[in-house]
Amino acid sequence: MTPAVSFDAVTIRLPTSDGGALTVATNLSLDIAEGHFVAIVGPSGCGKSTLLNLAAGLLFAPEGKVRIFGDELGGINQHAAYLFQQDALLPWRTIIDNVLLGPLIRGRSHAEAEPEARHWLQRVGLAGFEMQFPHQLSGGMRKRAALAQSWIVDPRILLMDEPFSALDVQTRQIMETELLGLWAETRKTVLFVTHDLEEAIALADEVVVLSARPARIKGVYPVDLPRPRDVAEIRMIPEFNTLYNKIWADLRVEVGAAAHG
Amino acid sequence: MADPVTVATATTRREAGRPVILAMQVGFFVLSMVGWELMSSTGLLDVFFFSKPSLIAVRMWDWLSSGFIYEHLFTTLIEALLAFIIGTVLGVIFGLTFARVRLLAAVFNPYIRVFNALPRVILAPIFLLWFGLGIASKVALGVTLVFMVVFFNTYQGIREVNPVLLNNVRMLQASQRQLLRYVYLPSAMTWIFSSLHTSIGFALVAAVVGEYLGSARGVGFVVAQAEGVFDTTGVFAGLILTSVVVLGIDLLIERLENYLLRWRPGG
Ligand SMILES: Nc1ncnc2c1ncn2[C@@H]1O[C@H](COP(=O)(O)OP(=O)(O)OP(=O)(O)O)[C@@H](O)[C@H]1O
Ligand SMILES: [Mg+2]
Repeated sequence: MTPAVSFDAVTIRLPTSDGGALTVATNLSLDIAEGHFVAIVGPSGCGKSTLLNLAAGLLFAPEGKVRIFGDELGGINQHAAYLFQQDALLPWRTIIDNVLLGPLIRGRSHAEAEPEARHWLQRVGLAGFEMQFPHQLSGGMRKRAALAQSWIVDPRILLMDEPFSALDVQTRQIMETELLGLWAETRKTVLFVTHDLEEAIALADEVVVLSARPARIKGVYPVDLPRPRDVAEIRMIPEFNTLYNKIWADLRVEVGAAAHG
Repeated sequence: MADPVTVATATTRREAGRPVILAMQVGFFVLSMVGWELMSSTGLLDVFFFSKPSLIAVRMWDWLSSGFIYEHLFTTLIEALLAFIIGTVLGVIFGLTFARVRLLAAVFNPYIRVFNALPRVILAPIFLLWFGLGIASKVALGVTLVFMVVFFNTYQGIREVNPVLLNNVRMLQASQRQLLRYVYLPSAMTWIFSSLHTSIGFALVAAVVGEYLGSARGVGFVVAQAEGVFDTTGVFAGLILTSVVVLGIDLLIERLENYLLRWRPGG
């Protein structure tokens, strides 16, 4: 089966302000199978967001290839929705107008898309906040609105960049459960960046560990834990711990390398 | 977390402060008017050159009650309004185009700078020659003033669009036109609005100056007429009338701005 996303020997160099170039990734190859939930972990600044930008088609790597369902990516990835690490809601649109922007852009009418947007806001626990502007919501609530914004367009690939890191433990578990439920229903391909290894293992089919910059694939760990999973309880089972310790041993070296330059 | 006690005192203090400040503002006005009146009455100020608040008030009442001033006021407002609308539309269109087409901006950059550095009120006599004594010459002058303000603000507004917002809407599969509609224009709107106060003022200044230099109607014409017969009272009455009108329009714009930009934090 052709992978949903395939990075084929990509090297990413970003221009720096002093006119030089920063090598973020070298000769990186990674296949993401369709329908898989893949978590990406790695030290801060190693290039996780950059990798998602590449899959999104927002960034172009002249060296190497990115293929989406087998087709080489030339522009914006038409099959993906992207949940950005930063705040990306339009501040001048109300929450509901932000959520229904995707359908609106795809040619649906406002009236047509509105009930659907309400439904999605309800799923992320934001019923009653439809008419607020983003600045009137907390950081975590804005993240949830952004979730609704990316889920409503029913993409085949979900790119998610630390979506839950701003949430408190309880809301976080609710959102993780929602995400797993949604994923089980629709079998989307998910690329999920997180700095929380526990979260990565609890959610994913595979955990990809990136090395410190320039990013290479340090290891790909299959997570053979039973599904459906309860995100809280799964942390208690012994296999979870074994896997955690194994991946953490690998990750710790890289975090240390990144921290000490 | 904000401490409710602190919040409460802060609010109470602000509410207590507002009437006091208003009273002081009114007090200052009354005091300066009385001072002016007294100084003119006692001969400390020459009434010929400085007039008197009471005389000015009577004159303004005359103008308003006889209906003499309305025609002039109307003319000035129409000129300013036309200049404002045309200047804003042109400014937005050009600002947008220049911000999106880098080559244009690069080529025309020095010319725009020169034109901006030029004290454009100087153009008034030229426009009088070109467009005659009617309203066209005043509108033309106003357009050049308004255009520059709106142009620069639109240009800046488009260039400073948050790239994350842009990427987000791009990922939602927006076309170039949809990006313009959903991101670029609303984002530039903040800048354009903050320039409205300045540009409406410019439009009125241009109208009055144009009328002053040559016309048969308008507030500027009334002031010029009064000046011609050394009628200081008339000049002051015209100036004050213009200020009051500008103030009124400014308040309206502020209302509109507060409504349209209500999405801003602290707005
Ligand atoms: N637009 C850019 N231009 C130049 N360099 C950039 C740019 N964006 C990011 N970088 C650099 O590229 C490297 C990778 O950045 P990236 O945002 O992908 O890291 P990350 O793994 O997502 O980090 P974090 O976990 O902190 O979000 C960083 O060292 C950063 O300084
Ligand atoms: Mg990142």
